[in-house]
Amino acid sequence: MTANKLLEVDGLKTEFKRDGGSITAVDGVNFHINKGEVLGLVGESGCGKSVTSLSIMRLLKDTPGKISGGAVRFEGSDLTKLKESDMRRIRGKDMAMIFQEPMTSLNPVLRIGKQLEEPIRLHLGYNRKKAREHAIQTLKLVGIPRAEELVDDYPHQLSGGMRQRVMIAMAMSCHPKLIIADEPTTALDVTIQAQILDLMRRLKEEKDMGMLLITHDLGVVAEMCDRVVVMYAGRVVEEASVKDLFEQPQHPYTKGLIRSVPKLRQNVRRLESISGNVPDLSRMPAGCKFAPRCPFVMEKCLSAEPDLVAVEGRTDRKSRCWLTQIDERGGETVHEYSAD
Amino acid sequence: MNTPLIEVKGLHKSFVVKKGFLGESKYVRAVDGISFAIRKGETFSLVGESGCGKSTTGRLVTRLLKPNEGEVWFNGQNISAYNDNQMRPVRKEMQMVFQDPYASLNPRMKVKDIVSEPLLIHTKMSSRERDKFATELLEVVGLSSYHAERHAHEFSGGQRQRIGIARALSVRPSLIVADEPVSALDVSIQSQVLNLLQDLQEEYGLTYLFISHDLSVVEHISDRIGVMYLGALVETAGKDALYDRPLHPYTQALLSSVPVADPSQKKERIILKGDIPSPVNPPSGCRFHTRCPSCMDICKQIQPVFQEVEPDHRVACHLYDETIMGKDGVHIN
Repeated sequence: MTANKLLEVDGLKTEFKRDGGSITAVDGVNFHINKGEVLGLVGESGCGKSVTSLSIMRLLKDTPGKISGGAVRFEGSDLTKLKESDMRRIRGKDMAMIFQEPMTSLNPVLRIGKQLEEPIRLHLGYNRKKAREHAIQTLKLVGIPRAEELVDDYPHQLSGGMRQRVMIAMAMSCHPKLIIADEPTTALDVTIQAQILDLMRRLKEEKDMGMLLITHDLGVVAEMCDRVVVMYAGRVVEEASVKDLFEQPQHPYTKGLIRSVPKLRQNVRRLESISGNVPDLSRMPAGCKFAPRCPFVMEKCLSAEPDLVAVEGRTDRKSRCWLTQIDERGGETVHEYSAD
Repeated sequence: MNTPLIEVKGLHKSFVVKKGFLGESKYVRAVDGISFAIRKGETFSLVGESGCGKSTTGRLVTRLLKPNEGEVWFNGQNISAYNDNQMRPVRKEMQMVFQDPYASLNPRMKVKDIVSEPLLIHTKMSSRERDKFATELLEVVGLSSYHAERHAHEFSGGQRQRIGIARALSVRPSLIVADEPVSALDVSIQSQVLNLLQDLQEEYGLTYLFISHDLSVVEHISDRIGVMYLGALVETAGKDALYDRPLHPYTQALLSSVPVADPSQKKERIILKGDIPSPVNPPSGCRFHTRCPSCMDICKQIQPVFQEVEPDHRVACHLYDETIMGKDGVHIN
């Protein structure tokens, strides 16, 4: 099992300096991605899902953020301990990233070909001519028509869907083992989203890559992912296979989230919703971070934060909620709250 | 049959994109000949992808934009040629809720002033009356009276959208045009706002023109729906007819593209080829022919007529044209 793990995030903690103090955007996040697997990272704005991905890629250098604890093991080696020069050898080669907004992540003054050739020449050591051929090949792989002509275009000459294909081509160009896709289709129209999801699914199958798919869209999760990690207020609150997550969500937040989404041909008159708002990271509630919005809140929830523990003794199924922990022991809680 | 509150007939709106030398200007035909009616008390939604003209239509209906051609009838009066003075009493009847709750509220104003500003223009209420009314409105939309003295930046996205809704409600309009009102919100907040909109509709007998790209949200909130593509309506129908029996190939593809939040459900997906063409240079004939999986020769030359093929179900597609397809027609699946 361990040998199969491509990426392992272990107790990751990322803090941001703000107004003299610091806030913890990601607080003790644990998950792993197996080879050839798509892991969904789900949550609402401000839950820390994007900061998690930037921490994995070590892209926080130009932000007030800093990894302050935990480890990110990629094929066994801890990325948080690597020198920047070593990290640069992995970034874009073994691990590549696809961002939400292709217009802001492509350089507007460089031709598509130039931008694609850069990582190819750096990581694969190709000369200019060979790199250009490889770039054209990769563009064809992601379904871009007239790739030979398009390499000489600038990003603004392409549509949103085409730009996202270029981003995917760039990520794919050096044969990565892991792709981190942060809301890759959120900026796209549905018919274009369908094209891009189809493409990503096909490429993943063909190249047998692992993928971390970050999204707020439960529909995308259901269609793309093998396993899912749900985040709330900087923490993992639930982990499950995609089937279990939708059929038997454990955490009240996951339940609320799934029920809040209107589904096609479901015909409910009223949607269920989660009352209140996501807590401010600088003014976090004391116990369970979801307690102020939770319909099942108990006294214990307000004072002590539950751990992320296995549900019904299963290793692939975890939830961070006192309810599941009480149910299991017939009223007895697993973790006792200590005074500090 | 209910009398329509809004009736739109053959509406056209173009914008200049490039002023050329010697008058060679280029135009985007943002809205190109659309007609629909909204009955009193119903929710009519316009769906479509970016650039299809749905927002422009909303602005034309509320006369924030003046149409180049065509008519907008509101409550039996043709308002398309009204000047600003004539429009003022009509504007009290139609209010808008915008997509971005961060951009549509003035950051320097207190919430009570934002909410009661329409009253300053449309009524003769004293400032004390307005303040009292504003606090009442805040409670109607699920905020508290103590929020009245605060500024917009102190609120979350969902709360700001509630403020925007309170402002729209202040003059007791009969029509609310809501342009992507929940698109900027997280799902758990989105359902709160959708429920609020439904409650308010029931309580005040409001009519909604709801503009959205999200087909699941549209299905939830609408009675009738119009699907737009490149500035034109391709299909209008009641909610059940549209979602159970979509006729236009574009509607079919659009519906099949929506990712379903249920991993046990595997569906046949129609994946459209290519991108949405530029509205500066729309394709000849049927605008959808470049991406249509059932494209015929005639589609490239002749624009299909928007016609009723079933009661209250209109579609603009040659596949349903009896004169072309013969009496039996062809029904694609």
